[in-house]
Amino acid sequence: MNAITPREPADLNLLDDESFRLHIRAWIEANYPAQIRNPEKRLHWAENQVWYHKLAEKGWLCPGWPREYGGMGLAPSKQIIFTEELERWGCARCNDHGIIMLGPLVIRYGTEAQKQHFLPKILTGEHIWCQGYSEPNSGSDLASLRTSAVLDGDHYVVNGQKIWTTLAQDANWIFLLVRTDATAKKQEGISFLLVDMATPGITVRPIINLEMHDEFCEVFFDNVRVPKENLVGQLNKGWDMAKALLSFERIYLGSPRQSAYALARLKQLAERMGVAEDPLFAERYARHRCDLEDLKALYARYVEVLKRGQPLGADVSQLKIIQSELYQRISETMLEVAGENAGLSGPMEGNRDLNPGGVYIQARPTSIYGGTNEIQRNIIAKNVLGLPG
Amino acid sequence: MTAGIAPFSEERLETIRMIRDSAAAFADTARARKLRFQGIGFDRDVFREMAELGWVGLAVPEEAGGAGLGLPEMVALAEELGRSLAPEPLIAAQLSAHILAAAGETEVLASLLAGQSVVLTAWQDRANSLDVATGADTPRRFVPMAAGATHFLWPVREHGRVALHLLTLEEVDLTAEDTQDGGHLATVRPKPWHGHGPGRHLADDVAEALSEGLDRAALATAAYLLGGMEACFALTLDYLKQRQQFGRAIGTFQVLQHKAADARVQISLTRAAVEQAAEAGAPALISRAKARASEAAMLVQQACLQLHGGIGYTDDYDSGLYLRKAMVLAPMFGGAALHRRRYMALSPELEEAA
Repeated sequence: MNAITPREPADLNLLDDESFRLHIRAWIEANYPAQIRNPEKRLHWAENQVWYHKLAEKGWLCPGWPREYGGMGLAPSKQIIFTEELERWGCARCNDHGIIMLGPLVIRYGTEAQKQHFLPKILTGEHIWCQGYSEPNSGSDLASLRTSAVLDGDHYVVNGQKIWTTLAQDANWIFLLVRTDATAKKQEGISFLLVDMATPGITVRPIINLEMHDEFCEVFFDNVRVPKENLVGQLNKGWDMAKALLSFERIYLGSPRQSAYALARLKQLAERMGVAEDPLFAERYARHRCDLEDLKALYARYVEVLKRGQPLGADVSQLKIIQSELYQRISETMLEVAGENAGLSGPMEGNRDLNPGGVYIQARPTSIYGGTNEIQRNIIAKNVLGLPG
Repeated sequence: MTAGIAPFSEERLETIRMIRDSAAAFADTARARKLRFQGIGFDRDVFREMAELGWVGLAVPEEAGGAGLGLPEMVALAEELGRSLAPEPLIAAQLSAHILAAAGETEVLASLLAGQSVVLTAWQDRANSLDVATGADTPRRFVPMAAGATHFLWPVREHGRVALHLLTLEEVDLTAEDTQDGGHLATVRPKPWHGHGPGRHLADDVAEALSEGLDRAALATAAYLLGGMEACFALTLDYLKQRQQFGRAIGTFQVLQHKAADARVQISLTRAAVEQAAEAGAPALISRAKARASEAAMLVQQACLQLHGGIGYTDDYDSGLYLRKAMVLAPMFGGAALHRRRYMALSPELEEAA
């Protein structure tokens, strides 16, 4: 991987929102590689590193990081505009676990040495991170995880298995939740550990999903020796640190963009199939459209919270439920409209916009990943409605 | 119970807080319960008190004698009235005040704003429609709480205009039918008249004001339904925490928790849609808000009844009052399907997601 020295970004916070938006938009449109706009699948490093490096070179890789660590130091309202512009142009998600998960965590909880060592390597693309949280027997019940780290001299010895590790085959570092105290209750014996994927004893095995895509992996740890200075934060406090970063994920997963994209494709499909004017279809379409616009209105209220720099409440969980289930309903309507074309494994007539089976399959995991919708409902019931455990 | 941040300015929020506080004086479902299925179905004195607080003329311009406030304030008030199930025809009276003010009428308007008259607008001649009745003698349907009215505004749509007449109670025949919430909907027929039309001719064309007024009434009704949802849902949560079966609170059961979470999601969507429409005031957004509120109100009230079990099916318990109110208001000023169609007709094409 090429190391590129990032340029110090100008302080874009001084621009008013609209000028900022146009500035960002112009640069994205001029620099984003056309061949990877609106990718159907999550891209691998080989496909999107050119974009990663362009952002890095511009100094725009880490909009949320403080400037002293090489980020853009953008105010929350500007970060939201930045994300909106990336989504608007159909930009692929980078291999961004270092940018959005690990970086902020190291900045908040890491030692000075850890900051100096790890942050610059994210900014140059030298370190590509993946996230090792879930395990085969610890999915929704993540806190029951059993991958262990036992101190042996100057090293932790890690044994166990992680699963659903997004793009682990592209990463050269992994951040792990590991059990460091087997006797403590669940959440209390978990620590946060940074591991070089080149360490002997690590095996990565890609999992082929229903999209026939190898987005997720299993990662096996067999007596993997990790220097003890790679522990972040306090021993046995890893759970609280990881949890502090999750509300970002829930608003991200509640963004209306997937549903909006699918609804536009549904309309094209209905026109192609000659049912756009059919009253039954029109009724269904109107319902989806109203659902989408109501979701946008609700989403905007949470964005407003972020813009003011306030914490998101537990009820942000509802965005993820609404978004994923709407996306799925739209994709189900696509199947109905498509008739026999629904069974095709690729786009109809070679037109990427007409891909009912593909969209339907892509919509399935949205109610599972990022905390299943059942877990989100548990969170609402307990933390928002105050229902008893 | 607010999800995220409402799209209103700080100054507005302060006025809204004051309106909510003064509405608390009427926050008593026992009062609403007593007024059901008898007399005119609401309390004339309370209606006058509400008018004296400036509520009938809340969104009427100050130069016409109103409070000159906007839709966000109107929505907040309606929401509070929905919480307490207030049966007074305030939303219908606001509609009449809006039309009278636009028509430049002053005498009846002043009396209505003071709560001395109850003026209702008999605009509708059939179900499932937002079209203003044609024909001066066409019977007007579904006029809420008409038995308590002193006057009726009588719009007549002809040749692309809507003429406005004013009829007194003595100039009409009323046939009232009880509604689920203990109020009534009336069919109103003008008694035979001499001259150009029934009653007194007030204006040649109020089409624009009537259309705007009906939008406001639809939005206020959506907000009333929202208040009812939140109030009944709060009752339901209390019940889930207290009611014991199988040796524990039924609120510990996951299947009930998830039903409650889904109700909360519908309430949040309704609030987002209603407050967005109130802030922007666009007819398309109002239609979307009423569509959401009408449908969500039924879903939420049904869930609240089911979560209560048998007690929810007794007339003694308040959750039934909220359900039966929703049955009356969900279709009033246009139901979910009608407003979804209207939203699609009025709204721009979906912005192409890149």
